[in-house]
Amino acid sequence: MSAAAPDDADRLESIRMIRDSAAAVAPPGGDLRRVRDLRFTGPGYDPAVLRGIGELGWIGLRVPEEAGGAGLGMGEMCALAEQLGAGLVPEPLIHAALSAALLAAAGERALLARVLSGDALVLTAWQERADTLDAPASPDGARRFLPMAGGAEAFLVPVREGGGIALYAQPAAGADLVLERTQDGGSFGTLRPALSGATRIADDVGAVLPGLLDDAALATAATLLGGMERAFAMTLDYLKTRQQFGKIIGTFQALQHRAADLAMQIALTRASVESAAAALDAGAAGDARRAAVSRAKVRATEASMLVTRGCIQLHGGIGYTDQYDVGLYLRKAMVVSGQFGGAALHRRRFMAAAPEVDE
Amino acid sequence: MDAIRIPPPAELDGLDDEHFRQVVRAFLHAHYPEHLRNPPKRLHWSENKEWYHILAREGWLCPGWPREHGGLGLSPVKQIILSEEYERHGVARTNDHGIVMLGPLVIQFGTEAQKRHFLPKILTGEHVWCQGYSEPNAGSDLAALRTEAVPDGDHYVVNGQKIWTTLAMDANWIFLLVRTDREAKKQEGISFLLVDMATPGITVRPIINLEMHDEFCEVFFDNVRVPRENLVGQLNRGWDMAKALLGFERIFIGAPRQSAYALSRLKLLAERMGVSDDPAFRDSYARLRLELEDLKALFGTHVAKLRRGESLGPDVSMLKVIQTELFQKITDTMLDIGGENGGLLEPMEGNRDLNIGGLYIQARPATIYGGSNEIQRNILSKNVLGLPG
Ligand SMILES: Cc1cc2nc3c(=O)[nH]c(=O)nc-3n(C[C@H](O)[C@H](O)[C@H](O)COP(=O)(O)OP(=O)(O)OC[C@H]3O[C@@H](n4cnc5c(N)ncnc54)[C@H](O)[C@@H]3O)c2cc1C
Repeated sequence: MSAAAPDDADRLESIRMIRDSAAAVAPPGGDLRRVRDLRFTGPGYDPAVLRGIGELGWIGLRVPEEAGGAGLGMGEMCALAEQLGAGLVPEPLIHAALSAALLAAAGERALLARVLSGDALVLTAWQERADTLDAPASPDGARRFLPMAGGAEAFLVPVREGGGIALYAQPAAGADLVLERTQDGGSFGTLRPALSGATRIADDVGAVLPGLLDDAALATAATLLGGMERAFAMTLDYLKTRQQFGKIIGTFQALQHRAADLAMQIALTRASVESAAAALDAGAAGDARRAAVSRAKVRATEASMLVTRGCIQLHGGIGYTDQYDVGLYLRKAMVVSGQFGGAALHRRRFMAAAPEVDE
Repeated sequence: MDAIRIPPPAELDGLDDEHFRQVVRAFLHAHYPEHLRNPPKRLHWSENKEWYHILAREGWLCPGWPREHGGLGLSPVKQIILSEEYERHGVARTNDHGIVMLGPLVIQFGTEAQKRHFLPKILTGEHVWCQGYSEPNAGSDLAALRTEAVPDGDHYVVNGQKIWTTLAMDANWIFLLVRTDREAKKQEGISFLLVDMATPGITVRPIINLEMHDEFCEVFFDNVRVPRENLVGQLNRGWDMAKALLGFERIFIGAPRQSAYALSRLKLLAERMGVSDDPAFRDSYARLRLELEDLKALFGTHVAKLRRGESLGPDVSMLKVIQTELFQKITDTMLDIGGENGGLLEPMEGNRDLNIGGLYIQARPATIYGGSNEIQRNILSKNVLGLPG
């Protein structure tokens, strides 16, 4: 279950290249001007950057090559999500990728092409309540927490029909959509689906949807990893420069221990996320797959909150200002850490999937 | 509820506790402005002065001050009851630096003239105070402060900068720690000065906090002339007084107020999320509630000390640490059970009173202000436990 990170040289090279290419969208120097400018505006992201992300092939990273994607693995997806998390990139890659994968599974090529290119943001409206991974039951129940929904061109609406889950595509134009602002400067949309104006594009996606939600959960864990790591790096810098009592505050043992504690949580998160991605890429299925994903999501959810709030504390007053970047990471973690299931949900799921300790 | 008579302020402390609780409820029912209940953010003076003036008019403004100075002189238990009932009702915090900090300081260290001049003006709301201690390079190391007051005839001339000054934009007076002797050891060259914010040379610049709220400020002093009689206590002895005042600040932050409010929100959230009966939730809720009850008991012992006329010892730092960390744990739990709702900027849909993310963020600085919890733990280990270092 706890496969290590891939040791095959080609895979490592592929993952390294993805990391490097992420610099195109998430400046490695940590410049967050673009991110700040987009907060609390229009759709909350830049459609041109989403197209750029499409051109880089990221939206279809996991989509099979024959469907127009790059056919890469979770190792690459997590490496990318991590970089984008470090840069607080607001373009909703994970959600676009989820829709791309569903459209590929449904064989809906025309809309898929527009999603892959980043020309259209299509969001999957699968969620009927907070803190769940359950597929929706009702045809008209409100679908919640659709990130950046103000920029969406269409929604994919899974609906339980008969024994399976049918998939509808509903245009955003004219849809009953309500937006609520989120702490990171984006928004969550609530959609009341209207299937009369929607196209039924697949009879049953019930066999693929849970696995795709798992992929999204794991990529979300990687996003959180990237964010906490960057916030922590900023904090370490601050501990090495800020002076009080005539000393660099990083010389105070209380702060050293606290920093060491946070570093251990980050190390556990990285190990958990990378080993889960490796397990998925090695073909883990069923319970083993669910256990790996849940383990990573539990750790990332909890560690991201612990680390980002610890970073505020280690900064003192300046950490509580909007102007200083470290707070952006706390507020991003508040929005992202609950997505695709919170810690308690994934703990329960882990215990159901892996009831016994591995020998 | 209407049957309960609200006795005059002087009689309140004589009531039995349960009766007093009913009186507080009736008082809030009769007087508290409905539109100010459960404000999602700390209110500015323009919004909360209505309530301040009501409290002033009814004589209820200063529960802890002795009666001879216009306070209610309430027993510790009654102060706790009062704050519980305020929280239960969702009462907004006022601009309370004068009530909580400056008033007690003037009562303890001020001259008769200062008491006569300043205390009544707090009681009427004519003076709204803010606290000018911290500077960009003097936060935890407060004694490193550099804002300077130089004597010039009947005045001091003040130059320098304060930062993180809560609600300075609302205040018309500020109490300052200033350096009055550059040569002395750093704690021994500090004095305590009261400054009218309308004096020429003062600039206030709001800082937006993590809640996107203009709650604290930078305050700049450029040749600000302050009459000498506005010095409190002895010249160069400001540090000792400030330390005494920090005791008041710590007991105020250590009061169960914030945690009690947060716990009431957690309960509401659990109901909304349908997890009230979930055994895992009930266990964590029980833990938090028990900690709150124990905090109330510990708080009571400190308030009782004050009431006996004893001064607060360094162990009051325990209250500050326990309360603020409990406040945070409660809001952490809210985020845990709220799922994606925890990421919302505004209160949760369908319930104006429930802003999970807002409360979570508000809880963050509680372990920073009023002396960070690291500093409190340093105090506890050295000054209470006697550990070397
Ligand atoms: C919301 C808010 C409101 C405030 N309101 C006011 C106000 O009205 N008036 C006012 O004067 N001030 C106010 N303050 C300022 C507050 O008192 C300071 O922020 C606080 O004293 C910490 O100082 P600092 O921010 O400079 O952090 P620093 O002192 O630089 O601390 C940075 C980090 O180092 C740690 N640290 C520092 N020294 C030590 C040590 N010796 N051992 C271990 N750890 C240490 C701190 O705990 C913190 O984690 C407010 C602050 C906040 C956040």
